[in-house]
Amino acid sequence: MPIAFEQVSHIYSDGTPFRYQALYDIDLNLKEGKITAVIGQTGSGKSTLVQHLNALLLPSSGTVYVLDRKIEAGTRPKGLKSLRKDVGLVFQFPEYQLFEETVLKDVSFGPKNFGVSEEDAAKKSLEVLKLVGIDPSYAERSPLELSGGQKRRVAIAGILAMDPSVLVLDEPTAGLDPQGTIEMMKLFKRLNQEMHKTILIVTHDMEQVYNYCDEVVVMEHGKVKLQQGVDEFFSHPEQCIELHILPPDIIRMKTMLREKGFRIGDEIRDVQALAKCIARQVKHG
Amino acid sequence: MGNFTLGRYMPLDSPVHKMDPRAKIGAMLIVMIAVFFPSGWTGYGILFVIAAGMILLSRLSFKFIWKSMKPMMFMMLFLMVINCFVIKTGTLVLTLGSFTIYSDALLQTAYIVVRLLLMIMITTCLTATTKPLDMTLGIEDLLSPFRKIGVPAHEIAMLISIALRFIPDLIEETQKIMKAQESRGVDLKEGKMMERIMAILSLIVPLFVSAFQRADDLANAMEARGYAPGETRTRYKVLKMHRRDYILLLGAACVLACMIWLSYFR
Repeated sequence: MPIAFEQVSHIYSDGTPFRYQALYDIDLNLKEGKITAVIGQTGSGKSTLVQHLNALLLPSSGTVYVLDRKIEAGTRPKGLKSLRKDVGLVFQFPEYQLFEETVLKDVSFGPKNFGVSEEDAAKKSLEVLKLVGIDPSYAERSPLELSGGQKRRVAIAGILAMDPSVLVLDEPTAGLDPQGTIEMMKLFKRLNQEMHKTILIVTHDMEQVYNYCDEVVVMEHGKVKLQQGVDEFFSHPEQCIELHILPPDIIRMKTMLREKGFRIGDEIRDVQALAKCIARQVKHG
Repeated sequence: MGNFTLGRYMPLDSPVHKMDPRAKIGAMLIVMIAVFFPSGWTGYGILFVIAAGMILLSRLSFKFIWKSMKPMMFMMLFLMVINCFVIKTGTLVLTLGSFTIYSDALLQTAYIVVRLLLMIMITTCLTATTKPLDMTLGIEDLLSPFRKIGVPAHEIAMLISIALRFIPDLIEETQKIMKAQESRGVDLKEGKMMERIMAILSLIVPLFVSAFQRADDLANAMEARGYAPGETRTRYKVLKMHRRDYILLLGAACVLACMIWLSYFR
């Protein structure tokens, strides 16, 4: 069983006036080897949900299954360390986690904690730094003097260096410039396709969901409202409206064109293909 | 971190919550002074009943008070050990080899422990029922008479309120960083000496970086909105003393008088 939630609830500060229930009886199955997007409004429980995956948060009730490990409410989970190595969690604005003197040392920090030797960790770190697009000449610089975007990359490299088989990203592109966002998303797609990593992305950006993800999980008020394949999800405009979700531009464009009488096939996914299709129909009437 | 209750505001609805912060601070100071009079067990008994009454009136649970006391346990134990070594008067209670404990040592410790407990109960009554911001307003008002002799009342109040304002943020930040580093395999609870030092370092460095960043941002934001220390400012919330506030102060004064009487005139 890859990743599953069974009747999982989570309550913060139970037994105090600050009590807050963030998750209500979540049942969820996530497919291995896919990119799944978790979407939903602020406060819908997305972040709480993903923090259960490496047992940073433990369920108040219910059971979480992650890669043949079982995390049950009310019990101390065993093998926490190996779980955290296998499930890499990148938090929102992860750049604050940087603390070492050099970029290389910071990226090696994770693997070294999991018992990888100094040399192997450094080798792996250089590899992932290249992967996230940080030039090796930066390796000996202090991570605190890098630019915001570079810090983000280094922080993500710090998780990738642990070589997790499941990668969980909480709004990884928030605050990045458009070019950086595209590069980042392409990287995740590559990790998924070439290294077969299971990826979970919390995001607000429907363009990202549409262009890079396989599945969507919609959260609302601490419950899973919907779980669907991306193509199916966006093929029902009414459903998106009902969920207060603005579909990607291309989808809205396709919907409008169809209303005007154009015949637009479902296989058209990007602007170029759409333009060609329109041109053809305009030419031939 | 989440269990840390000492000095935390509890959003409840009680008569004590509605009282004027100036009256509450004043009354607390007066009762605190009363605690330090050597009024004997009768006096402590009375004070204890009054403090417990205030807690009940504030609708706080005794469990909450008990939790606030926990961090002090170590200090109390420490005091007892010191007293046992230093005080060698009264009757002999216990002999362990060459180590002896005398009755006065235990009595002294008991006095200090009772005073500490009373102080925690009384201060908790204040901090748990008064919003930090109201507290600062109260402190500013109480300090303002001293402005004539050069006490920067407003600046002190602003400092305190900013510091208080950032405590929850910093706690949240700490938890966030802890989680991020735990995800990178940091074990903050166990491990070898070197590993633990690294673990603490991985927490403190980012915390400092973000604290300075925040301070910088806040200073800029305040200046951008024309904040100038020392200028007269009007207030959004104007404090007003009611009858219950005068009763509270009067009550506190009575307690103090009672303790003085118990200590010296009996």
